[in-house]
Amino acid sequence: MPWRLWNFVLVCGLALLCNAHPIYAETSDKLQFSGFARVVLGYLDDKDAEYLNYDNSVSIDNESLIGLQADYQMMDSLAITGQLIGHSGEQRDSGIEWLYLTYAPTNTLKLKLGRQRTPFLNYSDVIDVGYAYPWATLPQQTYPRHFFSNFDGLMASYEIPSTLFVMNIEGYWGYFKDKVVVSEREMEAKTTGFHGLISHISFKNWTLRGSYHQGTTSVTLDDVTQFSGLLNQLGFSQSADSLATTGVTEVFQFSANYETVDYFVRGELNRIKADFIFVPDTDGYFLSTGYNYFPFSSYISYSKNTTDYEEPASDIPTGLSPILDGLSYNYLNIFEQLPVNSSEAYTLGTRWDIQPGLALKGEVSLIKGADNESAFFDIKNTAFDREALLYLIALEWVF
Amino acid sequence: MVVANTGDQSIQLNRQQVRSLFMGGVIPYQLKAVALPPENHTRVLFNTKIIGLTESRIQSYWAQMRFTGRKRAPREFDNETSMLQFLLRNVGATGYLPAGMDVPEQLTVIYTIP
Repeated sequence: MPWRLWNFVLVCGLALLCNAHPIYAETSDKLQFSGFARVVLGYLDDKDAEYLNYDNSVSIDNESLIGLQADYQMMDSLAITGQLIGHSGEQRDSGIEWLYLTYAPTNTLKLKLGRQRTPFLNYSDVIDVGYAYPWATLPQQTYPRHFFSNFDGLMASYEIPSTLFVMNIEGYWGYFKDKVVVSEREMEAKTTGFHGLISHISFKNWTLRGSYHQGTTSVTLDDVTQFSGLLNQLGFSQSADSLATTGVTEVFQFSANYETVDYFVRGELNRIKADFIFVPDTDGYFLSTGYNYFPFSSYISYSKNTTDYEEPASDIPTGLSPILDGLSYNYLNIFEQLPVNSSEAYTLGTRWDIQPGLALKGEVSLIKGADNESAFFDIKNTAFDREALLYLIALEWVF
Repeated sequence: MVVANTGDQSIQLNRQQVRSLFMGGVIPYQLKAVALPPENHTRVLFNTKIIGLTESRIQSYWAQMRFTGRKRAPREFDNETSMLQFLLRNVGATGYLPAGMDVPEQLTVIYTIP
């Protein structure tokens, strides 16, 4: 399996590196190596379903990963960065996550060109660096796993100096092409004209972030495309249009953090709007508060999302002929099979910072969904009540 | 107190600017922050009074900055003496020292923690 090969290569590289330099390897001022790793142990307290691939057996190979980053400063204002990640989970591809050039003509302006992380949400670009956030895992209700994680393109970042606050504005434009899993189906996705604007401001104990992202996405679904073509030929254009596999996707996001030495309050909300089948319109948010008692930090969180698909069209008449009835049935069946993932989660957890660069987290989440919906569960028994406890223990390391 | 190797002895920063400088932000002066190691008492006091975050949160912040390619953490020195030597040798270098420590004439105190 490809990820096993990558893991092997990465682990060997890291082992050599860390043997020479225990914490943070700096082979020279120009070339620097760093990395991160996480081992996540998970257990779902229910035999009737899986949640994020966790079931009622203890597993370690779902979200565990290892990453290695190299930064080479070619000139004062020009650098190249590469990052390799080896995922243990089969749902994530291992390999080059980043490879970009950075050009910083001034200390306020930075341009990055190449493969980069997609900065949809506050933690989207560090979703794999568990050490960077307090929780064992980011809530699925706000951070849906079907988001593609990187893009190829240009990003510009400008920082506005002020005596009162720090403000940063980022804009990017790029392209994405890869396999994604949406509505439990794996498909080839391509996004063109992918762009976004992110504003980030820090003022006293507050950090606020707002962003907007847009792109035209097309997915390859041959069966749906052929059926849509058939409906079009028969003159049922509304039904055909509702099965579009190309459309504009928009993401809106806002987050606010307030933190002191003693406690923190963090919240984030987002809205995803997509003009094509299989990607529902989604509203999600989470609210989390924690108390710091160094080296520990304990927190509670609540997260919730609602998803809605476009209503099916009604231009195929029924009751006139068995052929039309069959056509209508097949058409409606596509919509009925779409998983509705509205759900909510209550989380309680503690993070222990064992030493700088090493943290252990323990977390339990109660996940709840409506009886007739999927709620991100992979349901094995139809009697499942859409309620389960997820236990996670995560060891997070940066070096 | 926060001291810098700068020819302009009139430079005085406010708390937000000092915080910004040590968190990798941009300020209107060509200053570059350096730091002491996480277990150092002066660093703990500085983090508590100026940055306003725990050490673990600061480490998390730098992990986020580093692995998103945004910013790098300040270079660290083993103790106040080695930091002072670096400050004296490098124009623009800025660090924090304990209140009772003698500050050489070449360095400017740009902020004093009340």
